[in-house]
Amino acid sequence: MASQNEIWTEKYRPQKFEDLVGQDDIVKKVQSLTKALNIPHLLFAGPAGTGKSTLALIIVREMFGVHWKENYLELNASDERGIDVVRQKVKDFARTKALGNVPFKVIFLDEADALTKEAQQALRRTMENYTSTCRFVMSCNYSSKIIDPLQSRCAIFRFKLLEEKDVAKRIRFIAEKENLTISEDTVIALYEASEGDCRRVINLLQASASITPSITKELVNTLVSSAKPGDIKIVLEYALSGDFLKAKEKLLEVMLKESIAGTDIIKSIQREVWNLQIDDELKVRLTEKTGEIEFRLVEGSDEFIQLEALLAAFVLAGKGIIK
Amino acid sequence: MTLPLIEKYRAGSLKDIKGQDTVISDIRTFLKTFPKKRALILSGPVGTGKTSMALAFAKDDECELFELNASDLRNRSKLEAVLAPAIKQKSLFNKKKLILMDEADGITTSDRGGLPELIALIEKTSFPIIITANDIWKRKFSLLRKKCKIIAVKELKDDVIFNILKEVCLKENHQKDDKTLQLIVKNSKGDMRAALNDLQTLLELGNDAFIEEFYEREKEESIFDALKTVFQDPTDPKITRIYDSTKMDLNEIALWVEENIPSEYSGSALAKAYISLSTADIFRGRIYRQQYWRFMVYQNFFLSAGISCATKLKYKKFRQYKRPSRILKIWLANQKNAKKKSIVAKYAKACHMSKKKAMKNSFLLPLIINKETEDKLNLEERERDYLLDKRGAIIIASQLNKFRI
Repeated sequence: MASQNEIWTEKYRPQKFEDLVGQDDIVKKVQSLTKALNIPHLLFAGPAGTGKSTLALIIVREMFGVHWKENYLELNASDERGIDVVRQKVKDFARTKALGNVPFKVIFLDEADALTKEAQQALRRTMENYTSTCRFVMSCNYSSKIIDPLQSRCAIFRFKLLEEKDVAKRIRFIAEKENLTISEDTVIALYEASEGDCRRVINLLQASASITPSITKELVNTLVSSAKPGDIKIVLEYALSGDFLKAKEKLLEVMLKESIAGTDIIKSIQREVWNLQIDDELKVRLTEKTGEIEFRLVEGSDEFIQLEALLAAFVLAGKGIIK
Repeated sequence: MTLPLIEKYRAGSLKDIKGQDTVISDIRTFLKTFPKKRALILSGPVGTGKTSMALAFAKDDECELFELNASDLRNRSKLEAVLAPAIKQKSLFNKKKLILMDEADGITTSDRGGLPELIALIEKTSFPIIITANDIWKRKFSLLRKKCKIIAVKELKDDVIFNILKEVCLKENHQKDDKTLQLIVKNSKGDMRAALNDLQTLLELGNDAFIEEFYEREKEESIFDALKTVFQDPTDPKITRIYDSTKMDLNEIALWVEENIPSEYSGSALAKAYISLSTADIFRGRIYRQQYWRFMVYQNFFLSAGISCATKLKYKKFRQYKRPSRILKIWLANQKNAKKKSIVAKYAKACHMSKKKAMKNSFLLPLIINKETEDKLNLEERERDYLLDKRGAIIIASQLNKFRI
């Protein structure tokens, strides 16, 4: 078995600017800012697993050297999204001086688009008041979810989805270090399963390697398909067969067992509808309904109620009386 | 039972206090480094053990305890007359002394000058002062806060309360099944005192069948009537005001409606009813996000008239409406998922990602975290067992064995 002393996403997290793949323009710009020891507030926008956190870590390591941990605060906005975080943690950290020869500290606000609007408002003044002692690096998936006043205070960098050649390069690099044998079509399978998310690729690679060092396409696919339980399909089939209660119970069970959020459930429903054994025209109508409910789910507050409403519509469709 | 459970089982000594280890060690540091800071504030919700901890410290360290609580008048002259001598005098038997100013929230306007006097005395005291309060962040305490070390006392964890209840049952020679105790725990919301008081009531009633209704009985009668009208009498002219007479808020009512829709409607009526429920929920979401409370009118409308007109048929059957089960199911599942969550939290921290994101990608974790990584992440024994179980389960479920060499 391959040696596994660490979590590979950390072990193979790029440590230098040169190691980062797929974001050449951004890296070049950020590198020259970092060299000058004077970064503005930064906003990294882009899909998951494209190197946003990694770049933030590289910046602080390059700037602060051995002192990077003292001068760096990482906050995950989706875990701590309220205004209290800005008022307490951020301010406490920001108001003291940095150690070493860089005049400021760095706060990395990961997933900043999860911050409430109030928290973002509170951040406006904080960013200005403490500019001399602290710089902010924020990451988000969608810059549109960051309020304009914050965007205007930051240099914005948009990360691209990683291309297959970049991810493949990384896969081969790791495979060589870990003595794995991996064929060309396995690399492709890994990339396809990951949707360009490098973290997911590496996790999948490590999970596969924990089974065997000679990784095949079949192994990868088996792992991927077991990671996506087919339970949603069962839920939909119950509903189409007219058994609302069973569908509802199964849905709740699936959500609770793996603590899956409603937004993720509706995504898999949307994908699954097209694979159902039903008339194509019905698929179109059900997909429309799914979209309508997804909209309602985003607007509402109780995800489960919205999903139930969708199941009720499926029950109706199963009886052929949906308009 | 003569003595209330809450007094009978009040922790006598520090070793009896559960689930507050960091607070205890912080208090110890405060006492050791006295008079670096002369006073300590224990701030936290009710029933978390603030007073118990102060009392236990006095007992374990063999201090003489001088206590003032909300039942005492605490204005300027009283504090001057009583507390001032106490902070100077040596104890009668030359023991150490600990001053406890309990329930500081209770220092009200009628205790004129009490707080400034307390602050003045803190500067002069030759013995440590411990102050307890539920919310020390009120403005009136701002000066006091500056003079004191502040320790936040958190709600007790569910399993801590559960274990204590279990122990008390054992000592009282009463058997209560785990589900009953869990319900008490859930309802206590981290308040040990509330949990013990509820347990006492239950023990005295001595009827297990009663437990589920114990908390909700009165509320339920009123919702039954309202639901009956909504589901069975769409023509009632007062339909939009039907929930006014219940003692529940609209969010709880929505859960009741949700639980009972499937047994009331089917087919297109079912779908229509759910769209109304869904619309009510949208307005609820908008209320939360925009704090625009007038939307409650619409939330109420779709929960009552909206549901009601899903069908024109009138039923005249008697129905026993079901209590919402989803919240309890969610709670039980959360208990089950606790181990996974604590593993994911540690993993997320080590890998610079949010717990949410880590949770989403947690399926492969049992394969990714191996023995050495377990050490590095400081996983506890029970967390390792969980991973071992899951590892096996994944391999069996996904037929990975055939790939193993």
